[in-house]
Amino acid sequence: MQYVIVGLGGQGILFSSKVLGQVALARDEKVLGSEVHGMAQRGGSVISHFKIGPYNSPLVRAGEADVLVAFEQGEGFRNLHFLRDGGTLVVNIHQKEALENENLKAYLASRKIKVHAIEGYEILKKTMGGRFLFLNVLILGALCASGAGGVTFDEVKEAVASLSPERFRADNLKVLALGHEAIKV
Amino acid sequence: MSKRQILLGNEAIARGIVEAGCAVATAYPGTPSSEILPAVAAYADELGTKTAVEWGINEKVAFEVAAAASFSGQRACAVMKQVGMNVAADGIMSVAQFNMAGGFLLVVADDPGPHSSQTEQDTRFFSMFAKLPCFDPSSAEEAKRMVFDAYDLSERHQIISVLRPSVRVDHCRQDVELGEVREVPNKAAFKKDPKRWVCLPANVRVSHPQLNAKIDAIAEEFETDFDSYNYEVPARSEAKLAVVAGGVSFAIVMDILKATGRTDVAVLKIGTPFPLPVKKVQDFIARHDNVLFLEETYPVMEMQLPDRTKIKGRWNGFVPRAGELLPEVIEEILYRALGEERPKREEERLKAALQELKVTPKPPALCPGCPHRASFFAIHKALPAAIYPSDIGCYTLGVNQKMVDSVVCMGASVSQGSGFFLAHHVDGKDQPVVSTIGDSTFFHMGVPGLINAVYNRHAFVLAILDNSLTAMTGGQSHPGLGDKLRREDSGVAVDLVPLIRGCGVSHVSVVASYDVAEGTKAIKEAWQFAKENRTPTVVVFRHPCMLLRPKQPRVAVTVDQEKCIGCRYCITNFNCPGLVFSDEKKKAYIDERFCVACGVCRFVCPHGAIVAVDGEEA
Repeated sequence: MQYVIVGLGGQGILFSSKVLGQVALARDEKVLGSEVHGMAQRGGSVISHFKIGPYNSPLVRAGEADVLVAFEQGEGFRNLHFLRDGGTLVVNIHQKEALENENLKAYLASRKIKVHAIEGYEILKKTMGGRFLFLNVLILGALCASGAGGVTFDEVKEAVASLSPERFRADNLKVLALGHEAIKV
Repeated sequence: MSKRQILLGNEAIARGIVEAGCAVATAYPGTPSSEILPAVAAYADELGTKTAVEWGINEKVAFEVAAAASFSGQRACAVMKQVGMNVAADGIMSVAQFNMAGGFLLVVADDPGPHSSQTEQDTRFFSMFAKLPCFDPSSAEEAKRMVFDAYDLSERHQIISVLRPSVRVDHCRQDVELGEVREVPNKAAFKKDPKRWVCLPANVRVSHPQLNAKIDAIAEEFETDFDSYNYEVPARSEAKLAVVAGGVSFAIVMDILKATGRTDVAVLKIGTPFPLPVKKVQDFIARHDNVLFLEETYPVMEMQLPDRTKIKGRWNGFVPRAGELLPEVIEEILYRALGEERPKREEERLKAALQELKVTPKPPALCPGCPHRASFFAIHKALPAAIYPSDIGCYTLGVNQKMVDSVVCMGASVSQGSGFFLAHHVDGKDQPVVSTIGDSTFFHMGVPGLINAVYNRHAFVLAILDNSLTAMTGGQSHPGLGDKLRREDSGVAVDLVPLIRGCGVSHVSVVASYDVAEGTKAIKEAWQFAKENRTPTVVVFRHPCMLLRPKQPRVAVTVDQEKCIGCRYCITNFNCPGLVFSDEKKKAYIDERFCVACGVCRFVCPHGAIVAVDGEEA
């Protein structure tokens, strides 16, 4: 299973791959991933690679990812080339109309890419008083619900609970469930 | 009992350092090496070792501290990034020739790409220059194993061992086996011996030939005794291509061969690129007609072969001579070396969509609320015609505000200020110059430049952007803070202002970064004083880094759409992710996804269009 996780520096992307790693470890599977630290991490485009299984390299090759998780829609679209044909995009959308772009629709259709979009900012505004730092857990919830992530909600819930600092645990679990509910498969 | 855990490559290296019985570990932070030393401290605490763990003021100092621990008989290590090795080079080149007492591991992280560095230089090449053996891991797990072998090799040959992880190993996450601390007999017992520890020319005439003999002996060992790092993965059918690969390139090649089901490519993995096991490589080359070398970033393995005529690699440009060897790059090179067409992907419609949706990669930027942004704005307001040398750190990103005119290396903003002053001064011009440097970088290498400027009477303003942190590398301590890494260990904070005064600077002011009016006034006064007295002056801008999540009043702001005339002044000069421009409405607006309500932008708009939301001003 190969994941590519993209977004902007500061959105909490590293936590997502930590959670996936925890899930794989609990299953006694091999884990390899690649993260971005340092200047590249400051507010700009960031990309995390994550692989579960018998791989050698931490990087996912373009055209090989099973799932692309995008914290920001532009970053998601820009990195679609990482997905294999028939792969899945789980994306946080803040400008829905972009999904109506004809060229984008044609590209997604030609490569049989499935899209699960979640309006993360709207949900967090309504339910968490606009505390957008919960975006990462919300998207993890959506990833579970998409059925494409190769991980179950219960597995992820357990990993989030064990990796969350005490003061965020309850809120994280609440938001994880919100993300799960937001995706209708 | 063995235990597996998912570790960052840097944590795996740190774990190895502690398990190997390292007694003194030092470093200066720098991406991609920064996470190693804090992890050394954490594991030393967890495993209860005696290890002293310290940030050095810079890489040279860090290296020299650790080196003397090795002279005393202890196992020691120094950790830095590739350009940090340039800073430490003076010490490294001398000590390379010494007969070390305790094992010494020099960990230098490389950044092919580069992602967070000013060069793509190759530490394997530097190892060759210094005549030091170098280990080049392909994974976190291998990097950890190499730590033990590097220490043993170091003690066997009384030489510094270099471990060169590249960024993809440093920042990979992998399940790694944890072990226990190995008992080593090393104790502090320094034996006075000027022939051994004093690098007088007469002694070097003896030690340099000794160093040559050591490296020859190590080359022989690398031929035969390190098969777990240097091994062949034969083709399972007739080989159409033979690849010699090191570092993460090896791992990438193996994944591509597996994914594409190819059986016609033979691979020789080399984990000890200097001194290269030449016979092993030559034998591999002799058995194949089509040979490709994949290494990052210089052709270091290739260079050690007397006959390169058969080799496709970085030397002859078959492999690009710069840049990171990403999976897509290696895939293209493999097909080209095989003389085959690479399977094409249809990306035209995606390209068209991205263009229509105006999607472009987002370059790094200062965080919303970052005090540097406010400081830069104040400096610009005070002296818009100044030259702005800057330095290595987050504030390099002031380039987005057009407030960074030159960046060279750590501490160079200060000496560049001197040079810009002199260039104009000899023509009789009073050119305003404001150099910007961070607190940690000022300690690292800014101080000598400042003393030099006082001594030589260079008129410019040095703005020290003090955010109480080494921020760009993720938030490490430095001498100005006094915190140390091991539990129950504490240091002494070195006060910035007395230090500046001690350098001979007579005009020093301290302002709050968010106070744009005060900052502007302080810069104007500082330049006036500098010009009139022909001397450097210093303004310290203070506000904690946003990574420290400082408690500060929230000032929610909005852009009054009536008053905004769409001049983009705030975008150009303030450049905050939370304050953006609508191309449709031709007006600025607050992007609440990113705004942290620091309130500073209220002082930016020349038309008073950015205002606090009613009743929310604290």
